[in-house]
Amino acid sequence: MTTLLNKTNKKALIERLNIFTAFALGALAAIVVWRLSLAFLPADSESAPLFTREDKITLLSMIAWFVGFMTGIGALIGPFRWVQGKDLTHEENMFYAGKDLGVKRYFRYTTDHKVVGIQYLVITMVIFGIGGILAMLIRTNLGTPGGGWIHPQAYNSIVGTHGIIMIVGTIIMVTGPFGNYIMPIMIGARDMAFPRLNALSFWLIVAAAIPLIWAQFIGGISTGWSAYNPLASQAPLGMNGYIMFICIFAISTMVAGANITTTVVRMRARGMTWNRTPIFIYGVVASVALALPAFPVFFLSQVMSGMDRALGTSFYNTALGGSGWLYENLFWIMGHPEVYVILIPAVAALMEMAPVFTRRPLFSFNVAVMGIAGICGLSVLVWAHHMYISGWAPLLNAPFMLTTELISVPTGMLFLVLVGTLWRGRLWMTVPTLSIFALLWNFMIGGITGIYLSDVPADAFLHGSMFVTAHFHYTLMGAGLTGAIAALIYWFPKMTGKMLNKRLSWIAFWLTQIGFNVAFIGMFFVGLQGQPRRVEAYADIFSKGNLITTIGAFTIMVGMLILLHAVISSWRSGVKAPMNPWHAKTLEWTVANPVPLENFEVLPTVTSDAYGYGRSK
Amino acid sequence: MSLDTHANPHHEHPDVVGSRNRLGVILILVADIAFALSILFVYFYLKGQNVNDMWLPKATEDTPAITPLSSLSSWYVTAIAAFGLLAHQFGLRGVRAANQTQLKLGGLVALVAALVATVYQNMQIANAPFTFYSGAYASCYYLITILNMVHLILTVFIAFGNWNRSRLGIYAHDHWHVDIVNIWWIWMTVSSLLGAFALSFA
Repeated sequence: MTTLLNKTNKKALIERLNIFTAFALGALAAIVVWRLSLAFLPADSESAPLFTREDKITLLSMIAWFVGFMTGIGALIGPFRWVQGKDLTHEENMFYAGKDLGVKRYFRYTTDHKVVGIQYLVITMVIFGIGGILAMLIRTNLGTPGGGWIHPQAYNSIVGTHGIIMIVGTIIMVTGPFGNYIMPIMIGARDMAFPRLNALSFWLIVAAAIPLIWAQFIGGISTGWSAYNPLASQAPLGMNGYIMFICIFAISTMVAGANITTTVVRMRARGMTWNRTPIFIYGVVASVALALPAFPVFFLSQVMSGMDRALGTSFYNTALGGSGWLYENLFWIMGHPEVYVILIPAVAALMEMAPVFTRRPLFSFNVAVMGIAGICGLSVLVWAHHMYISGWAPLLNAPFMLTTELISVPTGMLFLVLVGTLWRGRLWMTVPTLSIFALLWNFMIGGITGIYLSDVPADAFLHGSMFVTAHFHYTLMGAGLTGAIAALIYWFPKMTGKMLNKRLSWIAFWLTQIGFNVAFIGMFFVGLQGQPRRVEAYADIFSKGNLITTIGAFTIMVGMLILLHAVISSWRSGVKAPMNPWHAKTLEWTVANPVPLENFEVLPTVTSDAYGYGRSK
Repeated sequence: MSLDTHANPHHEHPDVVGSRNRLGVILILVADIAFALSILFVYFYLKGQNVNDMWLPKATEDTPAITPLSSLSSWYVTAIAAFGLLAHQFGLRGVRAANQTQLKLGGLVALVAALVATVYQNMQIANAPFTFYSGAYASCYYLITILNMVHLILTVFIAFGNWNRSRLGIYAHDHWHVDIVNIWWIWMTVSSLLGAFALSFA
């Protein structure tokens, strides 16, 4: 154990805190506040809106959970030690970094970026697991027309929970595991700029999960993932779980954004100029930098939603001067940049892999950077294309149509870079290589259908239909998740020291991609026929398309289960990975397996870019 | 990627750490600035829309008309915050000139100013002559003042830490923390000013 124990015979406070104390203190705080609120909160006056007292009690209890959990995990020790003037000692910092703690470090407020990366990887898989199960429930219910076996209210909640949980999962799926584990090594740093903030960003997500689970037992989230107001103001108490979940997650995103950006700007290795910085780093920074100003707007939208419910304010209550359009604006000001927060790092990961598996330089690095920058710039100017049909500012429809269609230009630049890199390359056919082709196919479909939806007259017909659902699954899952899985396979040897089972990963890839295309092309058809989204029952005319979609969804499930099996079995007893199995040239492949605590004994100096593979014949 | 290596001691120079910390704080403030600007957007959007003529509800049989409050008290809070900022900057100049007494004095006055502003802000919220149910203006009024209150509570925490660390002589050789606290003070004062500005246009 560390020297902390040797100084005194009793354990220091930071040694006592872990996930168990966090859950215990969080639960205790929630129960105490719940009981006190029940006892002392006055009954509502007759003029108060519905639910107000119950909402107050629920939200107060959830806030107490949050404070208790973060105290119990040890997140507040740093700030309070700063105020006391007793900064953490070197030994304490090493303890926080997880030195000599073995597997226990994964259950503590550990600051080592590699531990945080693994924690993110596991929680992302858990999130996708839960979201996937909910997707299977939805598809099973929709397998036959006329309503299924799930109660409509429960079905609505399943749809809403599936939506928000998958959105969060896709937001963190690349920047969380690989942005934390790989990125600092890739730029030649010993850790993140703010290791304790790094741990904070992860544990905030764990803290946020409980209100979302809690919500399922108090009425669920029956509004869809967008939780439009005033619908959300009138929804059951479970809506408070959604509000808390988003608020805590938004804080996590902001903290991670500041941390990752600072790390890249200030801690790149000597000689790593911006021209020599790997394209994956650009993708990660673009993603978090985009999220940094976008998520506070979402946070505010939920604070006001909570105030409307618990305090009776009227931000969204039109009877008292509020506006539903206000919510829609705030939500989509975050909501559309968020699509690119998800997509950019996944595409950038594939751009990072393309030179490795084609053995040629990245085709036009500058175009790739300009494409990423162009997407970031335009993505904040397109939000109202989600609101064409809402009646808000019809005069603005044309400008928003133009900006939305313009975004296909920088997106096309990223396509160009990928195709240009593949062109006449000596392809090494691995699953990441296949994933590049899959991304090009899926993202092309997702992108082109997106152009239809950005068109005001076409959107008037397609809005709110299954066509929209298929479109965004093609972008977020077909492109985003494909890139993330490729990143997992590519960096798995560095993160675990083992090679991912090749045969199983090939089977998983093909099953997932075939299932995916079957599922969502079927969904396009029923959408074009006019089936609305978020419905629990549908007419017979849509039955064939829905059956195809359900068959496709189950095929995806089988593929994902095989991938999960491959990950777990390879991690436990896979073939030991060499230091650089792909013969890649970025810095993470120059460090040993397992990566030492501070990554580099001596910091590297970079003297050329990462894509010096020569030219293909 | 070809590379050389060079020996690099794990210990980093305080200026390297300090400038990194400053950038991190500025980036976190970007998020807070986006949050505050969104609140201003909400205020002016709802005021501009005046949905159902309920920005300032007229009198009914049961409730009196809602009239806009004077923004003077918000400006007072801003003035106290600005005074605290000046006091902190007085301390900052002290630490840059290696004058520990000036640092401690500036930090203490800034702490007291933060406390006074917090109490005053709390009184402003508690004494508002309407409830949360009193229309869109009242909702926005509470939103802006509560945000300022949260900022001020954070400022009290930070100012106390800053003063305590000054008292313990921690800033004898390195003034980065005082510099970074100064960035927070500036933003907190600006955000208070923005809130007071918005409330001046009821």
